[in-house]
Formats: sequence, C-alpha cells, structure tokens
Amino acid sequence: MKDLIYLTYSEIKTKLNDGSLKSKDLVSAYINRIEVTDSKVKAFLELNKENILKQAEESDNRRKSGKLLSEFDGIPIGIKDNICITGEITSCSSKILENFRSPYDATVIQKLREKGFVLFPRLNMDEFAMGSSTENSAFQTTRNPFDTNRIPGGSSGGSAAAVAASMLPVSLGSDTGGSIRQPAALCGIWGLKPTYGRVSRYGLIAYASSLDQIGPFSNDLQGIADLMEILSGLDHKDQTTAKVNSFEANSVSSIDWKGKRIGVMKSEEFNFSPDVNKRYTDILKDLESKGATLVPLDFSLLKYAIPVYYLIATAECSSNLSRFDGIRYGLRKEGAGKLEDLYSESRTQGFGAEVKRRILLGTFSLSSGYYDAYYGKAQKARVLIRKQYAEFFKSVDIIFQPTSPTTAFKVGEKTKDPIQMYQADILTTSVNLAGVPAISCPAGLDSNGLPIGLQITSEHFNESKLLSFAKSVSELEICKLALPKEIT
Amino acid sequence: MDEKELKNIANLAKLNIDDAEVSSMLNDFSRIVQYVDEIKNLDTSAVGDDEIYEQIFYELRKDFAENNLKRDDLAKIAPSYENGYIVVPKVIET
Repeated sequence: MKDLIYLTYSEIKTKLNDGSLKSKDLVSAYINRIEVTDSKVKAFLELNKENILKQAEESDNRRKSGKLLSEFDGIPIGIKDNICITGEITSCSSKILENFRSPYDATVIQKLREKGFVLFPRLNMDEFAMGSSTENSAFQTTRNPFDTNRIPGGSSGGSAAAVAASMLPVSLGSDTGGSIRQPAALCGIWGLKPTYGRVSRYGLIAYASSLDQIGPFSNDLQGIADLMEILSGLDHKDQTTAKVNSFEANSVSSIDWKGKRIGVMKSEEFNFSPDVNKRYTDILKDLESKGATLVPLDFSLLKYAIPVYYLIATAECSSNLSRFDGIRYGLRKEGAGKLEDLYSESRTQGFGAEVKRRILLGTFSLSSGYYDAYYGKAQKARVLIRKQYAEFFKSVDIIFQPTSPTTAFKVGEKTKDPIQMYQADILTTSVNLAGVPAISCPAGLDSNGLPIGLQITSEHFNESKLLSFAKSVSELEICKLALPKEIT
Repeated sequence: MDEKELKNIANLAKLNIDDAEVSSMLNDFSRIVQYVDEIKNLDTSAVGDDEIYEQIFYELRKDFAENNLKRDDLAKIAPSYENGYIVVPKVIET
C-alpha cells in the first residue's frame, strides 16, 4: 500500500469511505510525518496530538456504528492561525495575541465540525496576514518544502507548506491580496480565493474586511471543490455573505478547449522571470493547439493594483487593529502610567515591524488632509479595476495569468525592501480589489526544480466554471508536478 | 514626510517610535508613500462617489437575540474576572 501520507485528498476520501483506511491510522501517519519533517519546514505553531487523535477516534467510532456525519468524516485539515477555534489559541502569529484562546468557532470551523473533519490547528502565517513570504511571523519563518532555503510564499505559508510537505492533504488559509494563491503557486499545490461574499468571515480575525476571504489549499483539485461546497453559503453572522446559488462540487467537469476564448496578458509588460515566462507561453501554445483562442487583454490598470491595494488594505487594517489596545483585546503592558501610555506601550510591544508599517500607512491615508488624495482616490481606482474585469468577461470565457512573477525566492532576500516584497503580489491583488474568484493551479517546475503556478480567474460567483477550467488544466501534461517526498 | 509628521501619525495610531527607529522608518515610509503616489496619475474623474459603496448583495440580519458566548467561557479567557464582570484597568483619569 502507498505510504498513507502520500495519498491524495481524493484517495483518502475513497479509502475512508470503502473502509480500507481508518482515520486514526491516517492521522497518526501525519503526526509522525510532522514530528520528523516540521523541524525543517516550520509550518506548525502548535500540534495538540491528544486532541487530534481523539477527533480521529471519534470519527472511526461513528463509522463503526454507522452514524457518519458525512462522506468527509475523518479527513484531516490544517487551520491557519487567524481562524478561531473554541478553546484553541488563535494568535495571528502575533505577540499581541500570543495567549488568546478563542471562546467560539468561526463559521467555517463549525461547518467542518458538522461534517466530521479532523481539525489540525494551527499553521504559521505572516503576522495578521500581512506579508508575501511568511517571514513576518512573530514566532518562526516557514520554509518551502521544495527547497528549505526558500520562502513558501505568504501570508498563508504554513497552510501551503504543510500540504506541500505531505503533512496534511488539505488546509484552510485566508487571502487578502494573494495570500492563498501566491503560496499555493510557490509550493506546487492548489489554492482558491473564492468570490468575495461566498464564504463567511465570521471568526476570521480581520485584516482588511472588504478584501479578506477564507479559502482552501489541497493536494488535488477535488479537495478544493469539496471544501468550496462545504464552506460557502449565506451566514447571518456575516452581513457580507451573499445570497446566491450554492456551489456544488459535482458541477465541476472537464471542458473542451475548442472554441474557448482565453484572456491572456502580454508578458513583456511585466517583469516575469524567464522560466515563468516560458512556462506561461508554452501552456498558452498548448491550449491554442487544442483549439482555444487567445485574447490579449489590456492589463495596464494592473500597475495601479498594488498601490490601490496597499492604500485600501492598510486603511482597513489601521481601523480593524485599533481594537488591540491592551484593554479590549491583546497583550497588556502592565505598569504603564496613563491610559494613553497603556495603549501605546501595549501596541508598540505587541505588533511586529510590518504590522506597524501598515498601520502607519493606513492612519496616514485616512488622516485629515490626505484622505481625498489617497484613500478616496484609491476607492475610485478600485471601481475602475472592478469595471475592467466586468469588461474583460464580455469578450473572454476565462483569464489565464502566472500566479507569481517569479518562483520562490530565498529567505531574507527581500525582507529589507518592503516595495520589492509588495511587488511579489502584482498578479493577485487586483483580483481581491474586484472581488472575483481565482485559483492557482500547479504548472510544473522551473530549472531549479521550484514550482510555477498558473492563476485562473472567472467572473463573480462562477466557481463552477473556474474549477472546470482548472480541472482541464490539471489534465495537461505540461502542468504536472510531484510534491517532494524528502524534505532537505 | 518629515520626522514631526511621522511622529504625529504614530501618535494617532497609538504607536511609539523611538529615536533610533525614526530614520529607517522615515526612509521606508517615504518610499512607500512615493510608491502609492503613482495612483495620482490615474484619471478617476469618471467614477462617482456613489459607485464606491455599490454592493448589491448585502442583507441585514433580523433583529433577534440569540445565545452566543457563555459567561463562563468568557471568564476562562479574561485576564481578570470578578463576580461576573471582566475587570479592566482604570480608564478614567482623575
């Protein structure tokens, strides 16, 4: 029998349901793998073995007594450290929330529990989901399983690396400007940012509320489709969830490339690495040979996406993070004198450098005298970006772009230059600003053996079409890659 | 952006910046502001103020009370808890 840890999500689901695999055996195999491997990858901030094994045992007992909660009962799933789970620490990888134990479940957690998933909290991330490399965690830097000298991407780097290193088959992350798709691409796995409003954000510790969405990572596409069906839906605890037709995993089926109109970008406009550029061009040639028509789109607005994203996201973060003041939430700096000092001391000691930088930028753009020129202007630019996507989808069925302009860079390579780091998200941020859904699909390896990701984007609430195209991409020989068995 | 302005912003954000940090933070911050200044080149005159807030699917929830957090569970995570109340430091200066 194939080593349990190398099973795909689909194989796990099948074996659990045909009785050839017990959840406890599977979970034990993953725990062993984590114990051996995570000292190199550093994806986990914590591993509560006892609780995890107990959940698996309960699932096996339900199966034995014919009282299964669902066909997903017993499947292990990793949870990013900004999604609240009752009784567990949810720190956002920040010192300010280092000891915060959530008294409630996020809606997505409640949904997973109802189906019988075995929850594996908690996976490392950039502090408060601010970063593109998982180097901004207050506790540790997660490493890329394909090369542990390199970053896994961010901010959901722990969630992506855990799946890529075969420490779990699926996990949850959150995506504000690319934080699921970019690490999925750099770690060679699947990662989906759903349409804004598809998945409840109740219990996700907010970074930028108008951009954040929770989404899945998986080692195969079926895991993404199943999790989308489970997680999506209207939630009265989150006013921004949408009342739309639900997504059904069985609506995903391969498409015929013939006659499909694929929106593409002129790669020379952007600074893609030669390997990424070549792979993108080769995939497009392959699709043309299969009968698809390539439609070049005008992405000139994209150069504004990162400035617009940083102005809007940081404005929202300065507001969202104001609750961490040492009184209501977060670390309290004892012994401070006046109330104002308690606020400032607690926040200054609790937040890391990048979080402070973004709070300052947000406070600046919202402050008197600058509001119209920065925040107001950025909101209007966001409308233009949203309209441009609507315009794109009048002439194409789908949009294909590289997910990231380069493959994984080395740890420390960009930490001293915030602008260079921000540009790692150039291809993903506009998707969040428009609110449309996008997935990163594995698209082979570069000449250094590092994964390349292909980003597919569709219109609002059309995840069925998005995942159908992704399924056909998964069948392309040029996009195949294998996850590393040995982590060095 | 100068030192005085940076300190004013930090004060609004309730963050302390010590003198050793000022120069590197000023440098980073000026570069970031210069970078986001790029949006000034974008013509947004066609976008009306009302379009910014366009969201078609918001639905307000019904106004009903439901049990959410239990008091005992809150007591377990509060740093200081007495007689059914969460104790916070004194916030009124005399």
